[in-house]
Amino acid sequence: MTPFTPYIEYARKAFAREATYRIELIAEIGSLVLRVYLLRSLWTALYTHNVAPMGLPLHSMITYTTVALLMSLVLEVDGTRVIREKLREGGIAVDLMKPIVVPFAYFSDGIGQTLVHAAAILPSLLFALLLVHIDVPSLPVIAIFFCSFALGYGVNFFVNFLMNGVAFWTLETFGLQLIVRWISDLLSGQILPLSFFPGWFGRAVFALPFAAIYSTPLLIYVGIIPPAKWGAALAVQAAWLAATTGASYLLWRAASRRVVVQGG
Amino acid sequence: MRVAARAAAASAAKNRRVPLIVTRDLRKVFRSAKRFPGAMGALRGLFSPVYEDRVAVAGVSMEIERGELIGYIGPNGAGKSTTIKMLTGILVPSGGEVEVAGIVPHRKRRENARNIGVVFGQRTQLYWDLPLIDSFELLRAIYGIPHDRYRRSLDAFVELLEMGDFLRTPVRQLSLGQRMRGDFAAAMLHEPPILYLDEPTIGLDVVAKEAIRTFVERVNRENATTVILTTHDLADVERLCRRIVLIDHGRTIFDGPIDRIKNEYGRERTLVVRFTEATSAPAIPGARLEGVEGSTARFVFDRASQRVDRLVREVSDRYSVEDIAIEEPELEGIIRHIYTQGYAGEERSA
Repeated sequence: MTPFTPYIEYARKAFAREATYRIELIAEIGSLVLRVYLLRSLWTALYTHNVAPMGLPLHSMITYTTVALLMSLVLEVDGTRVIREKLREGGIAVDLMKPIVVPFAYFSDGIGQTLVHAAAILPSLLFALLLVHIDVPSLPVIAIFFCSFALGYGVNFFVNFLMNGVAFWTLETFGLQLIVRWISDLLSGQILPLSFFPGWFGRAVFALPFAAIYSTPLLIYVGIIPPAKWGAALAVQAAWLAATTGASYLLWRAASRRVVVQGG
Repeated sequence: MRVAARAAAASAAKNRRVPLIVTRDLRKVFRSAKRFPGAMGALRGLFSPVYEDRVAVAGVSMEIERGELIGYIGPNGAGKSTTIKMLTGILVPSGGEVEVAGIVPHRKRRENARNIGVVFGQRTQLYWDLPLIDSFELLRAIYGIPHDRYRRSLDAFVELLEMGDFLRTPVRQLSLGQRMRGDFAAAMLHEPPILYLDEPTIGLDVVAKEAIRTFVERVNRENATTVILTTHDLADVERLCRRIVLIDHGRTIFDGPIDRIKNEYGRERTLVVRFTEATSAPAIPGARLEGVEGSTARFVFDRASQRVDRLVREVSDRYSVEDIAIEEPELEGIIRHIYTQGYAGEERSA
């Protein structure tokens, strides 16, 4: 038994729990493959009428959207939604009566959920390859891509944590989540490379934490961020990870001081 | 080394006979923004919030010794759950003192958590989608229970609570009675010295209720586990507890043996008489006729001023009687009386 044992067990139980929803997972793969096909058609149609923007050829664009969709399998898992659910149903009280650091337990639960959905990446990729061609960069690029992806995963996790943590004050976060999700989809580079945005807006979106989630790893993958700028790109991501982690810590501290458990 | 020191401290504590759980003038006030009706009201609340204080616990003092099994009762909203939440350390008191096994719970929530087990009748701590055994495995990791000890206590609980048949069934497929038994095992797996039970028998059928009561009784007797039982089912209390703490409006209104509250309030007895034939308006001197139903009449008398043998003689002299029974007041009736009329005992006793 180490201090980590409980948290590893939380991740394992979350994995087992999510894995019981097999049909949902299969549906997820199906919907992803469908979206790969739709986006390929969309971009192909757009490219036949326009010159490739920013010198990004069609095959790179399709690679970008397909990899983004595969990443979304993992990034769209809202591992911290348990906070919101437990606050509403009062289950958080039960967790607080255990000798655990509760946010760590929820983090581990999120990791467990993520791993289940990560298992859907490989079959999704295989099906996607039947429909589209994906560029495969050199090994160092792939390695840096995964580092950047990991940092992005962290930023995404804590952005979600902050959003769900608002439930400590409001109990319901649906409206807020809808807005943040909508902004994040657009400004994280999940749908569209951020380099497409013109002028000051184009520069501003890179200054937001959302860019650290999808944009940075994807731009590294398709080569828009050259090796010379990898260090700076990862440093910005790391800074956002530190900032969101710090904010999450402060939020939790403020929240646990005012745990008003429902149904008292 | 540390273990030895702790054992020494524990035995020193025992010698000084410090109660296991102590609260002194414990208070909790909830502050919430007042809501105004309508859209304009919501706007007003946003810009100039008015706060309302709601006193949930207004000064509860009690001492509970190791191995006691107490019934902590009171009407809805009396402050029972709030007190329990402060004892578990998840709510910070607004005033007063609280100490559980030498620990101030809200200062050392996690340390305190190792000493307690909690069962909520209305909520489960088990993983809904997973087999029951998975929740136990998670708890083993959380409390760092050594493997052989885990095996031993799990086996004991499986036998005691008859869980063998559904240990590998997903919790969502269990009946309420089975789930409750699972929740009890989950709360006790780390063998805590203190057990908080919040309405543990709610919604259970008579057989399941009895199984749970027997389990609580055994755990209390054999492991000297201190139990605080919060419930609205006074049959639970009557069956299990010798002492009750009664609270209302956040204050302790009675703290003492059940027998005492019964004596203070239960001075009235009911004499149930079945006559051989229907009798209209029967009467016995010294007893009040409460009601007649067919050939059965109910008389209420004061046990302190009237002798039972005289009443029985009187009634059998005057009428032709088939059967006589004397009913003692039930705790439920007494408590109902106190909830509606207030407590009028000699004093608030400690």
